[in-house]
Amino acid sequence: MDIKRPHRRHVLSLLGGAAAVGVSGRAFAQAEPPKPAQIVVNHSGGSMGTAMRKAFFNGFEKKYGIRVVETSPVDFGKLRAMVDSGNVEWDLTEIGGQDAIRASKMNLLDKVDPKVVDRSKYPPTAQNPNVFASSVYTTIIGYRTDVFKGGTHPKSWAEWWDVKKFPGARSMRNHPTDNLEFALIADGVPKDKVYPIDFDRAFKKLDQIKPHVTAWWSTGQQPAQLLLDKEVVLATGWNGRFYDVIKKGGPIEIEWNEGALKQGSFAIPRGAKNPYWANKMLAELAVPQQQAVYASELGYPGLNLESLNFVDAKVKPYLPTAYLDKQFWISDEWYAENGAKAQELWNAWMLKKA
Amino acid sequence: MTARGFWPALPALILLLVFFLFPVVRMLGFSVEAGTLDWYAKALGEGLYLRVFWNTFEIALLVTLVCLLLGYPLGYLMATTTPGWATFGFICVLLPLWTSVLVRTYAWMVLLGRNGVLNRTLMESGLTTDPLPLLHNFTGVLIGMVHVLLPYMVLPIYGAVRRVDPAIPAAAAGLGASSARIFWRIYLPLTLNGIFAGSVLVFVLSLGFFITPALLGGGRVMMIAVLIEQQVRETLNWPFAAALSAVLLVFTFAVYALAQRFTQPEATR
Repeated sequence: MDIKRPHRRHVLSLLGGAAAVGVSGRAFAQAEPPKPAQIVVNHSGGSMGTAMRKAFFNGFEKKYGIRVVETSPVDFGKLRAMVDSGNVEWDLTEIGGQDAIRASKMNLLDKVDPKVVDRSKYPPTAQNPNVFASSVYTTIIGYRTDVFKGGTHPKSWAEWWDVKKFPGARSMRNHPTDNLEFALIADGVPKDKVYPIDFDRAFKKLDQIKPHVTAWWSTGQQPAQLLLDKEVVLATGWNGRFYDVIKKGGPIEIEWNEGALKQGSFAIPRGAKNPYWANKMLAELAVPQQQAVYASELGYPGLNLESLNFVDAKVKPYLPTAYLDKQFWISDEWYAENGAKAQELWNAWMLKKA
Repeated sequence: MTARGFWPALPALILLLVFFLFPVVRMLGFSVEAGTLDWYAKALGEGLYLRVFWNTFEIALLVTLVCLLLGYPLGYLMATTTPGWATFGFICVLLPLWTSVLVRTYAWMVLLGRNGVLNRTLMESGLTTDPLPLLHNFTGVLIGMVHVLLPYMVLPIYGAVRRVDPAIPAAAAGLGASSARIFWRIYLPLTLNGIFAGSVLVFVLSLGFFITPALLGGGRVMMIAVLIEQQVRETLNWPFAAALSAVLLVFTFAVYALAQRFTQPEATR
């Protein structure tokens, strides 16, 4: 039997830990690892990167004198390859909701240090030990205001499916997530009862809408573009992308009812070179004032519930957290288990001649 | 290859060995990780994957054909015209290569859409009454892919036509051969290796496309690279991704061998 004896070093560090709990401030300052020249944060890039720099990275660099190097895109496969090979380039990475759960299960992530990152103002659902919930986004209905004037647009998934009353080309995401749920809700399933998903019922309902979907989008900027180009008059899309066009005066509006909420998350890859400073960065992402700056840029609010207090009154109506009751949460747990099956059925359904 | 000719190629061979052959072998290893051929059975046994393999080859073949039909006259023209026009041709062919595929794909979306430049021009000129369905379907994918891949067809054909001794067609014309006859009996056989090289390049590159089909096909045109990418990045089923890749690799080699059998004997005669 291989019973590990506590080494002296371990005992000492245990004592150190106990001391840190006792006289937190001073003991911490002593335990702080040396500052690296830079840390690497991986995110989706684009306008999100610009907003993160403005809201979080510039402040972090000023405060600690550590340069924040940004990389993109977000890539679960690459994360796994990095951790497996022991060559982890990222100190912190954005990660999708269901991917975060799977990555935790596959032991690819480090713990978020509760001593460094204050999540006391976060809802209990956003307290995963390995995953930091950075923002909320939602898939909702975007419509052209010159086609649907004065509130004549579809206001539910049942109405989205009603092509007689609401004619015109539509665009939906080329992915099972969101669409399976929307189909079930359109078919009369209450929005808090969609899981576990009944595949047969969902795809049968999707059959009805398929001929009316001109384009199945695969990148986030497509829906807003398709609306602007008048390729379609209705599109499902991520609220921030529509918000961006609305901010610039584009003829688009959002219907929030029955939107599919998701969490944007960040996590520290296991074996990251500067985990302590990655946690310090997460602490920065948790500051409500900075989350408000970020939300005003992109329309993606943070989960620190205080952050809404710091947002301009004109921006508030465009944040999904202002409509939490009207919407429902996508179940990352369900997709972590059934995502592969759902994807395969979706591919087969897409190949089927309509 | 003589022994002396071998040494200068060594760095390149080592590079290929380390960065190409080794990863391919590792990938093949992934696919049989579990000690069974289950993932291959799935790749070759399920209708979905067979259909997508078939789609992929169909599209690749069609893209190659269209590229050949457009690329041969262009390559021929560039090889036989004045140096000034040839340079102009080169600029036109090579310029798009320096632009990202994504940017070009978006440009096509602007041109081909229902309210795009092309459809608006057609409708305003009264040639059509309804917008032509050029985007979010197979046509869009074909146009986008041909545009991206055309240079790979034109350049080898240009090279092949340049290598034809101009005295041969001149002699044939002097003996009274029609231009059609000169093409079929002289240019075509003598440039067959250029056609082969261009076609193989375009065909193989087509097989791996996924941005263009996803964006211009409106999600309806599914190619195998999309499914492999899903398995690698979303589902994280690397053994299955490796099996799909291995099947694609074998199919590609088969097509290559077949094409070589049909073209090579004449070319090396």
